Amino acid sequence: MAEQGKAINRRALGRALSRIADASVEEALAGLVEPPARSARRIGITGPPGAGKSTLISGLARRRLDRGRSLGIVAIDPTSPFSHGAILGDRIRMEEIGDDPRLFIRSLASRGAHDGLADNIPDILLTMDAHGFDEVVLETVGVGQAEYGVRLLVDTVVLVLIPESGDQIQAMKAGVLETADIYVVNKADLPGARKIAAELRGVLKIRRRLGATWEPPVILASAQDGEGVGALDEAVERHLEWLASTREPSELRRARARYHLQSLFARRIAEILESVPEILDGSSLAAGYRAALDHLGRRAETGNGRRETSF
Amino acid sequence: MSDTANKTLLRGKRILIAKPGLDGHDIGAKIIALALRDAGAEVIYTGLRKTPRYIARVAVDEDVDAVGLSMLSGSHRELVAETIEELRAADAADIPVFVGGTIPAEDHAYLRQLGVAGIFTSEMRLDDVVAELARALG
Ligand SMILES: Nc1nc2c(ncn2[C@@H]2O[C@H](COP(=O)(O)OP(=O)(O)OP(=O)(O)O)[C@@H](O)[C@H]2O)c(=O)[nH]1
Ligand SMILES: [Mg+2]
Repeated sequence: MAEQGKAINRRALGRALSRIADASVEEALAGLVEPPARSARRIGITGPPGAGKSTLISGLARRRLDRGRSLGIVAIDPTSPFSHGAILGDRIRMEEIGDDPRLFIRSLASRGAHDGLADNIPDILLTMDAHGFDEVVLETVGVGQAEYGVRLLVDTVVLVLIPESGDQIQAMKAGVLETADIYVVNKADLPGARKIAAELRGVLKIRRRLGATWEPPVILASAQDGEGVGALDEAVERHLEWLASTREPSELRRARARYHLQSLFARRIAEILESVPEILDGSSLAAGYRAALDHLGRRAETGNGRRETSF
Repeated sequence: MSDTANKTLLRGKRILIAKPGLDGHDIGAKIIALALRDAGAEVIYTGLRKTPRYIARVAVDEDVDAVGLSMLSGSHRELVAETIEELRAADAADIPVFVGGTIPAEDHAYLRQLGVAGIFTSEMRLDDVVAELARALG
């Protein structure tokens, strides 16, 4: 039921996203959005805290809108493990584009998700698809393994690094980091950016796979002054075109289904451990494991969404 | 009120803290945002000098449970009225609006008559603001 070309029904979409974000696993399964025939192209922007991701997205979004596309932005910030509250501050950096009628920005707290993403994020993205956006940008805080989930959820992964990101590049050299499709070294106005970019290019050369037809570009940017944003916009466009010509859609579908199922399982287990604390008091870990499996086999008696969960 | 009791009062609530008007101070808004976060709320903050129309749009896109307007300037009567009107126009009259800051006592009745769900003056303790907000949001 895509609504291509029509004005965004902001109130309906805003509410639908809350419903899905708050859904328990049972509720999420009951309300599952079927992938629409035409899904939005998804661009993931990830990188360490404060790297300039939101500032960069603001500039990138301006250019995507100027290409005549409608755009959704989903920006995730971490939930405080102490209060379960969160400050969702990404949209402050996006004010310059905030008035465009073809743009919709939603801020999400990571809540129970431990991979830089948010509860029910696969369903949230499907809901954005169903509302007919041409493109969706997903902002996540990611370092290291956290990028794995993003990789499966989006089409193009942009990793934003800064002059202080030397350690991360060492980790890439050691092969423990998933690679991105596009690299941005932001804050190029600060010392050290060129050096980091050169190291990064070196590592990418070493890690380049034989016969690979996509060569990840390294872009120096200063998001604050808009520098490098045009190059990023063009790189994203080239990557999306490249994907369209090379990708096997069934492979992608399977990978996304796998992540979706895994995240539902992880949350269901968290729900069980929260609602049946006796499992943790058992004689042995093995017994607790079997008891949890037993509960997993049953259907949840109540659809206890997060607002009702006891803690 | 003890610290631990406060920690869960607003759990699961999404609250927009917005600053309409022209004054350039948002320290009060930031302090309130942090207090709400520490009480478990997910707080969206808009930054300085936002128009009522922009504030209503953010409230709708983010589907918040409440809008808190932080005001220091003298034009709160107009700005609050306009924000409530914009929310209505956006099919979001059901989102309650709270007002905080330096609000002279003689204006309280007028603001309530506009539909404001609660007024928090700058003399109030943060704990009391959180508790009252939690009560109002149920
Ligand atoms: N010097 C410099 N600072 C920048 C640049 N881009 C962004 N910043 C600043 O870096 C800080 C963080 O920017 P954000 O865009 O919020 O970064 P972020 O990665 O989205 O941050 P989180 O979402 O909190 O992880 C802000 O103070 C920006 O003004 C840049 O190119 N150069
Ligand atoms: Mg950000």
